[in-house]
Amino acid sequence: MSADTKIAELLTELHQLIKQTQEERSRSEHNLLNIQKTHERMQTENKTSPYYRTKLRGLYTTAKADAEAECSILRHALDKIAEIKSLQEERRIAAKSARVQSDNDPPRKTMRRGVLMTLLQQSAMTLPLWIGKPGESPPPLCGAIPASSDYVAKQGDKVAARVKVVDGDEQWILAEVVSYSHSTNKYEVDDIDEEGKERHTLSRRRIIPLPQWKANPETDPEALFSKDQLVLALYPQTTCFYRALIHTPPHRPQDDYSVLFEDTSYADGYSPPLNVAQRYVVACKENKKK
Amino acid sequence: MRSTATEEVSSSSVDMSDPAAQASQPRLPQTQSAGSAGSGNAATGSGSGNSDPARPGLSQQQRASQKKAQVRAFPRAKKLEKLGVFSACKANDTCKCNGWKNPNPPSATRLDLQQQAASLSEPCRSCGHALAEHVSHLENVSEEEINRLLGMVVDVENLFMSVHKEEDTDTKQVYFYLFKLLRKCILQMSQPVVEGSLGTPPFERPNIEQGVLNFVQYKFSHLAPKERQTMFELSKMFLLCLNYWKLETPTQYRQRTQKEDGAPYKVDYTRWLCYCHVPQSNDSLPRYETTQVFGRNLLKSIFTVTRRQLLEKFRVEKDKLLPEKRTLILTHFPKFLSMLEEEIYGENSPIWEADFTMPASDGTQLGHQTVISPAAVSGSPALSKSLSGGSSTVDSGGVEPIPGEKRKLPEALTLEDAKRIRVMGDIPMELVNEVMMTITDPAAMLGPETNLLTPNAARDETARLEERRGIIEFHVIGNSLSQKSNKKILMWLVGLQNVFSHQLPRMPKEYITRLVFDPKHKTLALIKDGRVIGGICFRMFPTQGFTEIVFCAVTSNEQVKGYGTHLMNHLKEYHIKHNILYFLTYADEYAIGYFKKQGFSKDIKVAKSRYLGYIKDYEGATLMECELNPRIPYTELSHIIKRQKEIIKKLIERKQSQIRKVYPGLTCFKEGVRQIPVESIPGIRETGWKPSSKDKSKEVKDPDVLYNTLKNLLAQIKTHPDAWPFMEPVKKSEAPDYYEIIRFPIDLKTMTDRLKNRYYVTKKLFIADLQRIISNCREYNPPDSEYCKCANTLEKFFYFKLKDGGLIDK
Repeated sequence: MSADTKIAELLTELHQLIKQTQEERSRSEHNLLNIQKTHERMQTENKTSPYYRTKLRGLYTTAKADAEAECSILRHALDKIAEIKSLQEERRIAAKSARVQSDNDPPRKTMRRGVLMTLLQQSAMTLPLWIGKPGESPPPLCGAIPASSDYVAKQGDKVAARVKVVDGDEQWILAEVVSYSHSTNKYEVDDIDEEGKERHTLSRRRIIPLPQWKANPETDPEALFSKDQLVLALYPQTTCFYRALIHTPPHRPQDDYSVLFEDTSYADGYSPPLNVAQRYVVACKENKKK
Repeated sequence: MRSTATEEVSSSSVDMSDPAAQASQPRLPQTQSAGSAGSGNAATGSGSGNSDPARPGLSQQQRASQKKAQVRAFPRAKKLEKLGVFSACKANDTCKCNGWKNPNPPSATRLDLQQQAASLSEPCRSCGHALAEHVSHLENVSEEEINRLLGMVVDVENLFMSVHKEEDTDTKQVYFYLFKLLRKCILQMSQPVVEGSLGTPPFERPNIEQGVLNFVQYKFSHLAPKERQTMFELSKMFLLCLNYWKLETPTQYRQRTQKEDGAPYKVDYTRWLCYCHVPQSNDSLPRYETTQVFGRNLLKSIFTVTRRQLLEKFRVEKDKLLPEKRTLILTHFPKFLSMLEEEIYGENSPIWEADFTMPASDGTQLGHQTVISPAAVSGSPALSKSLSGGSSTVDSGGVEPIPGEKRKLPEALTLEDAKRIRVMGDIPMELVNEVMMTITDPAAMLGPETNLLTPNAARDETARLEERRGIIEFHVIGNSLSQKSNKKILMWLVGLQNVFSHQLPRMPKEYITRLVFDPKHKTLALIKDGRVIGGICFRMFPTQGFTEIVFCAVTSNEQVKGYGTHLMNHLKEYHIKHNILYFLTYADEYAIGYFKKQGFSKDIKVAKSRYLGYIKDYEGATLMECELNPRIPYTELSHIIKRQKEIIKKLIERKQSQIRKVYPGLTCFKEGVRQIPVESIPGIRETGWKPSSKDKSKEVKDPDVLYNTLKNLLAQIKTHPDAWPFMEPVKKSEAPDYYEIIRFPIDLKTMTDRLKNRYYVTKKLFIADLQRIISNCREYNPPDSEYCKCANTLEKFFYFKLKDGGLIDK
C-alpha cells in the first residue's frame, strides 16, 4: 500500500475518532448535570444523608468511567496523528535520499531562506505535547529532559550539532541526522541550511537531540528549563544555536521560552528577551563563558 | 431600590433654583417613567461614557421619536396643557410667569399618559392665572405648528435630562445652552438657530467625505474592480462610523494629546454637539453629518483615537459581524486606516486639495467608474490595467499622461511589444471579468489565521499580510529643529539608531546617531508592537533628482520575513509620491545582494555631476542605483503579478478545453535554457498565434536551410583542437561545486541533441548557447587556466565561422 493511501486511511480514522469524542462528551453530559443538581439539592437541604452519599458515589464512578473512555479515544486519536506524521517523515527521508543518490544530476535549487524559516517555525508549532497518565513522569526528550546517555538519534531527527566553521571556530548548528555508525560511534549529519550540501561526521558528544515533545507547563513544569538556567537556543530566524539564559519559561503549552542571548554588542552582555520555541531550546553542557 | 432613587432625582430637581428647571418640573415624572420603562437602559442614550460607540444616541433617537408621536396623538386640550407649561402668561403685562404650572402635579403613582387633561380654567400654581391665559396665542395656530412646538417640548425635556446626567463640564454647558435656546423658541414660536462665534456649517472644505473618497480614488484606482469595490465599501463604512461616532470631550483631548491649547478642538467639539450629535436625537435642531461639515482639521484631531477605538470595537464584536463583512474588516480595514492616516497627517497629501482630480490617464478614469459600478468597464486593455494604474500615485511632472494614448510605453519596449499588448487587449472584457470572478474568491482571501505560507509565495507576501492586519506599520519620520518633535517620534528615532548600530557594527555609533537625528535625513521606520524593528534612513535631494539610501537594516531576530523588501517597496512608493525617481546608495559587500533583489544595479544612469559632492562616499563600497517607475504600485507588485499569472493560467485552461490536442511539455527550461522563441513551442500556431512579420524578414526563411547551416557549423566546432573541454556535460564527481556556481550549464553534446530536436529555430538561440559555453568556463575557472585558454581560442574560432557563414554581421 502506498504511503498516500495509508495516510488517507489514517485521516479517515482520525475523523471518526473526533466524531466519537463528541458523542462521548454528549453522552457523559447528562451524568455531569446530574452530579451538579445533586450537589445543589444537598446544599439547599443542608445535610448529607446516606442516600445522597450512595447516589453521589454511583454518579462519580460513572463520571470517572466516562472521562476515562473519552480520554482513551483522545489518546487513540493522538496516536493516529503521530502515525501520520511518522509516515510523512518516512516519505520525506526517502525523497531526500533519492535526491542525494542521483549524484550526477545538477542539484535542485535550494529553497529560499524565508521558506526554510517558516518550515522551522511550523515544525516547532506542531511538535506534539506530551500528555502523561496521572502520576506518570515525562520521558526523556520531553521538554528539558535530556536523552539517556545511550540514546541514538534516528535518521531524520533534528539535532543541535557542534561543527567547525571556517576560521577554526566552532558553532552549534541545526542539523538532521543521516546515519549513525555503531562501530565508530559517530553520526553523519546534514546542515539543515544547505540540505545535502554540507555533510558532517561528528562524534556523539557533539550532538544534542532536540526535544520530541513539548512539556506542558501546567502539568509538568519540572520538565522545563527554569529561569536563569544556561541553555543553547536557536536564534530567531537563523539556524544556529547560541548560549542564552532563560528569561521566562512558557506558561501555557503553546507558549515559547523567553531567553536572553549572550551578546557582547549589548552593554550588559545579553540581548533583550527574545522568544524561542521549546523545540529549539536544549541544555548547555559547557559552563565556562567564552 | 430603583423607585427611591427615582424620587431622589425628581425631588432634587424641584429644588433647583434655575427657572428653566422649574418650568420643566411638572413634566419630570413622565420623563422618569419613560426612563424606567426601559428598565435601566436610560443611561444608554444619555451621552455619557459607556454607550455603544458606533451608534450613540440611536436608542435615544428612537425613544424621542416615539415620544413625539405619542404627544402629537394627544387630544388638543392635552396638547395645549403641555405647551402651556412652556408658554408665558399673557393675562396682563405685569405677569412675569413664563410657564403654566399644574396646581395638581401628577404623582408618581399615576403616571399613565391617559390621565385627564387639565381644564383651560385651571389656575397656574405660580401666577394664579388660568391655563387659557398661557395658551391664548395658540388659538388660531395650525395643528402642524402645534405639533412642531410639541416636538420641541419633547426635545427640551430630553435636553433637560441630558444636562442633568452629563458629567463633563464642557458638554453640560452646551446641552444647557441648547436647552435654553429651544425653550426660547417655544416661547417665541420661532425656529432654533445656534448663534455665536461657532460659524455656520460647513466649517471646512473639502469635507471629510470628499477627502476620503479622493483617498480611495488616489490610492486604489489601480486595483481590480472587485478589490476597488471593497475599498469603496470600507470608505463608506468608515464615513458612516464617523457620523455616529462620539467624539472625545475637550478634557479627554487635552489629556491625551498633552496639548496646552485645546481651544480649536473645543470649538469643533461644540460645533459637532450643536450641529451633528445632539440633532441626531433632537430633530428640532437642523442636523448635519459630521463627515459633510468638517474636514481635515477635525479628522486630524480625532483620527488617532477613533482609529484605535474602531479597530478595538471590531475586534471585540467580530463574532457579531456578517461573515463577508468580517473578512472585509479584519483583513483590509487596518491597512486602509494606516494608509488613510498617512494622508491625514502627511504634509502634502493631494486628497485634501479643493480641486483634487486624478490625472486623466486611462487607468484612473476607469477606476472612478468602476468604483461606482464595476459593470461599467468596457473596451479597455484588461491585462495592462493593473499595471498602468500605478500612475495614480503621480501628482505632477514625472510622467505626463499623453491624451489619447492608451498607455505610455517605457522606452525599452519596441513596436512589436506594443502590438503584443494590443493583442492581449483583444481578450473580451466579459471573459476577463468572468476569470477574475473565479480567482477572487473571498473565502480564499480570509484563509486560516496563520503566517505559514506556501513555499512559492512572494518574498514580501507575509509582510504585506501583516501590514494589512495591523501587526506591522510603516512610518516616515525625522527629527525637526524648528518644531518640538513629538515624544513618540523621538522614541522611534532612538529605536532606529539602536537597530542600525546593532545591525551595522562597522558603522561608528556616533555617526549613525548624527545622521538619524539630522533634520535633513528621514527614516522609514518599521514598527511592530509599538517598537522599531527596522528601517531605511535616507536623504532626499529634490534639486538633484535623487535620494541617497543611507542606512538600511532589520533587527536580526526579525530577518528573513520579507520586511526588507516591503520596506524598500514602501520607500519607492513614498518617493514616487514626492516625485523623486532615482535611488543611489553605496552598498557594502553584504548589502549588494539585498539591493540587487530590490531592483538596484551597478549600472548608474544618473549623471555624475548630479550626485558628486552630494552623496556620502564610502571607501570599498559599491555605488548602486535604482530607477523607479511611477506606474508601478511597488508594495502590491508581486501580488499583481501573481494575479496576472493566475488570470493567464485560467485563460490558458479555457483555451485548452477548446483545443483538444495535447503536446508533451517543454523540457528545455529544466535543462537550463532561459528563453526560447515563441514559434518553437509545439502547437502554438494552432492557437492562432502568428509570428510578427519583422522577425520573419530577418530570419532565414526555410528552417531546413538554417538546420543544415548550424549542423555544419557545430561539426566544425566539435573538431576544433581546443573544443575538448566542452564536449560533454561537466561531471559532478570531477567538479563537485560546479552546479552550484554555474546555473545554466551547456556543452557541445547537449547542443548537438538540441539541434537534432529542432530546438534551434533561430540562429540567435544557437549563438547564445555557444556564448554561454565560453562565459560558463570563464566564470568557473581562473583566467589563466588551461580551460580558459581553450575557451578564448574556441570563441575566436566560432565567431570567425559565424561571420564567414553570414550568420552575424561585421
